[in-house]
Amino acid sequence: MATVTFEQATRIYPRADRPAVDTLDLAIGDGELLVLVGPSGCGKSTSLRMLAGLEEVDAGSIRIGDRDVTDSPPKDRDIAMVFQNYALYPHMTVAENMGFALRIAGVGKADIGRRVAEAARILDLEPYLARRPKALSGGQRQRVAMGRAIVRQPQVFLMDEPLSNLDAKLRVQTRTQIAALQRRLVVTTVYVTHDQVEAMTMGDRVAVLKDGVLQQCDAPGTLYDRPANTFVAGFIGSPAMNVVTGPGVDGGVRLGGAVLPVPRERLARASAGSGRITVGFRPEAVDLRAGDGVPVVVDVVEQLGSDACLYATLGAADDGDVLHTADLVVRTEPRSAPAVGEPVTLRVREDHLHVFDPVTQLRVD
Amino acid sequence: MTTLATPPEESVDAPARTVASAAPRRRRRRAGRVTAAGPLTYLLLALTTLVSVFPLYWTMVAGSHTNAEIAATPPPFLPDADLFTNIGRAMEEAPIGLAIVNSVVVAGCITVGTVLCCTLAGFAFAKLRFRGNGVLLGLVIGTMMVPTQLAIIPLFILIAELQWVDHLQAVVLPTLVSAFGVFFMRQFLTQALPDELLEAGRVDGASTWRIFWSIVVPVARPAMAVLAMLTFLTAWNDFFWPIIALTTNNPTVQVALAGLGGGYVPDRAVIMAGTLVGTLPVLVVFVVLGKQIVGGIMQGAVKG
Ligand SMILES: Nc1ncnc2c1ncn2[C@@H]1O[C@H](COP(=O)(O)OP(=O)(O)OP(=O)(O)O)[C@@H](O)[C@H]1O
Ligand SMILES: [Mg+2]
Repeated sequence: MATVTFEQATRIYPRADRPAVDTLDLAIGDGELLVLVGPSGCGKSTSLRMLAGLEEVDAGSIRIGDRDVTDSPPKDRDIAMVFQNYALYPHMTVAENMGFALRIAGVGKADIGRRVAEAARILDLEPYLARRPKALSGGQRQRVAMGRAIVRQPQVFLMDEPLSNLDAKLRVQTRTQIAALQRRLVVTTVYVTHDQVEAMTMGDRVAVLKDGVLQQCDAPGTLYDRPANTFVAGFIGSPAMNVVTGPGVDGGVRLGGAVLPVPRERLARASAGSGRITVGFRPEAVDLRAGDGVPVVVDVVEQLGSDACLYATLGAADDGDVLHTADLVVRTEPRSAPAVGEPVTLRVREDHLHVFDPVTQLRVD
Repeated sequence: MTTLATPPEESVDAPARTVASAAPRRRRRRAGRVTAAGPLTYLLLALTTLVSVFPLYWTMVAGSHTNAEIAATPPPFLPDADLFTNIGRAMEEAPIGLAIVNSVVVAGCITVGTVLCCTLAGFAFAKLRFRGNGVLLGLVIGTMMVPTQLAIIPLFILIAELQWVDHLQAVVLPTLVSAFGVFFMRQFLTQALPDELLEAGRVDGASTWRIFWSIVVPVARPAMAVLAMLTFLTAWNDFFWPIIALTTNNPTVQVALAGLGGGYVPDRAVIMAGTLVGTLPVLVVFVVLGKQIVGGIMQGAVKG
């Protein structure tokens, strides 16, 4: 067991014009499950592979516990990795796959057998120990890949989208199993996914990456309630947060001919540079038909059973000042949902309003 | 080779069984055109088989007659009783027993060496990152364009200097690696061996050498079987360099056969009898290993 520390770690691929991972600073606690999340191509896999020793570190350093492993080969790092396509050795049985690392490490036959049997019991793989990977289902292969990692009893688990080859239902089921297993084994784990729901449900903390740059690293709740910038605000949560930019006026931001109130100091600081202000609000942080408010027109109503999603556009969008003209999303009671085409007004609950500087895109408190 | 036996048999037999059980149903639905062979196919296959087998059959027929009988019109079409006499005479004229042993040693060494070296080099070219990778591969492939004949004289001078003339190493060593083999293994491994498998091996703590033996070789096995077969055949049939480097005192099969029946009138019966004996080991290899070789090719095709 160990902590993991990235210090200004940078990776620039040969012939690339910008770093795939840019001065990454990240400290992962002992036994913590940290999820790396971000859109495709943001450098999640690269970060993980740097930690695994499969990718060079061009600048900065990486430490596991007190050891600087920046230049160590993978075999000296005491890590185990679960690959996206599992990478099981096709000519070895399940038992041999799981025992391979131990065999290389020179562990005795009896010991290997015992540890493999133990892992197989935890993962319900006992009936399949003598099979080859090609005779297993996707879910079983995934568990063998997990088993190969846990028999090693390494200091750190690395997992690169281990669930992306499973169907939706199995994915949900397996993600709880993995999280439970990790809590039970208490091994420091770095888990990569592009699925923000997976990130939010599994992680002790979640690190959001974009274009190789760390945007924010916090507990899921904090990430949701206090996103550090507009990117995190839009990326975390489904449906996504509404993020709108408009001219700052006395008492708030002008949207669709009405004024959405914004607390005074935040308004002043956010609009200081450009005179504009960016606000964000979650779909569920909105009251409809609350008298005076921002007028919108409902375009689509999605009934989800437990609640309804309204997709709406700003009503009197006469001022060409609204920069983000994308649809607003509102989550509401299914019974009282307005009809399509109905003009309604919406009001954002004050303590749920996020304010961002439209130039730097950073959160203003 | 023995470990190779099981997996191909599974993978060859299993599809065969499903095809067999599915065929009647398909035919009833009149959709079996694709799978059921028509009479024309059978005819063509039979003809092809006949054409392929005939030379061997004729060798046996001719080898079992006397020289005069072969020359008669019409020539004989059935085997006669003189086969063993002819073989006996052939063995007297040339050391065919020794030649077969020599050929087995030579072709065996060349095959093992070529398959091993080409797999190693092919793996390096396909998967390892090192400076000059592309240039080196280009050079290796470039050597395929140099005709053998061009190298013969310098090679012979070298062999003579080393006093290896009439020694088997003179035939084995120059052909221990082939550019074609390197290229062939590289192509196969490039597409059949996923990078993740090697990375998994490295994370599991294996050295490059260990990765080669435990992960690369098992994956490369079908291609290695094909390369082994091709190399063995080429080495067994090679004539040009062996007849320069060896004498009839210590010949390979092809060199020994060249010395047969060399009277004023060539005794074709003896030549044919000797050829038959010289071909037999290759046939045995094919009959014994044929299923595995075909299995190897099939496996590569399905997985690759
Ligand atoms: N071997 C490579 N050579 C050059 N560029 C690469 C290489 N591997 C990745 N990249 C680039 O580095 C960036 C980050 O890639 P990375 O694989 O880390 O993304 P990712 O976050 O894992 O994305 P995904 O969710 O699609 O897996 C991408 O822009 C990619 O094009
Ligand atoms: Mg990735």
